[in-house]
Amino acid sequence: MHEGVAAYVLGVLDEEEVEEFERHLDTCARCQAELKEMADIPSRLDDLKHSAAASEDDPPPMSMSR
Amino acid sequence: MCPVLGHLTGRLESADIDAEHRIAVLYQEFGGPLLRHVRKSTGNDLQWAEDVVQETLVRAWRHSARLQWEPSLIWAWLLTVARRIVIDGRRRKSVRPHEVEPPEVDMLAVPDSSERALSAIVVAEALRSLSEEHREVIEQTYLRDRTISEAAEILGIPPGTVKSRLYYGIRALRVLLQDKGVAG
Ligand SMILES: [Zn+2]
Repeated sequence: MHEGVAAYVLGVLDEEEVEEFERHLDTCARCQAELKEMADIPSRLDDLKHSAAASEDDPPPMSMSR
Repeated sequence: MCPVLGHLTGRLESADIDAEHRIAVLYQEFGGPLLRHVRKSTGNDLQWAEDVVQETLVRAWRHSARLQWEPSLIWAWLLTVARRIVIDGRRRKSVRPHEVEPPEVDMLAVPDSSERALSAIVVAEALRSLSEEHREVIEQTYLRDRTISEAAEILGIPPGTVKSRLYYGIRALRVLLQDKGVAG
């Protein structure tokens, strides 16, 4: 159950899984702590996503063609 | 990053606070920071960003027990709620093609600061240092706007495995970014 925190932070869980995880989160100090630690990661990944989409000249940093 | 909210808990806890006042306090405390954050994902679409903030705070208000958490945890939680609302909105737009803005427009609308460009390079480098298994699940889920279930199908591995690899992958990524000084 604890491992769901990363998928939760990234927003890649299905709706029912979100509700299930949030019920767990309400009572799990470990996941609450990891939620805070991971909260900034999606924004960092967005920096990469946006720059890869915006720059046509440079090859994308990874195989990220949409 | 997290707004300074030392006095929030007391303000939301006071016994005489009514529902309307409570949501006003939420707006006052989180509205601005949340809007600045959400606008990074919605580009120039200010109306959409404002709708996302409103929906986020309404959901927060419905789960008022979580508003007793410490402010930095409330903030982290609000970011996840707002992110899901943006992702849902993007998905809804993409199943109605005539309403879709070309993604390039959306992306380019965000002023590309040199700070952000630098962060992109650092993040790409960190992803390359991850194990293939970890990099793959991050790429096939978040970076391609897919859920765990969708990625599992594409990768031909069980959803539980994707979830677990994502967890260890994100932890490893965080450590790498922390070493490079771009994650808190
Ligand atoms: Zn847990």
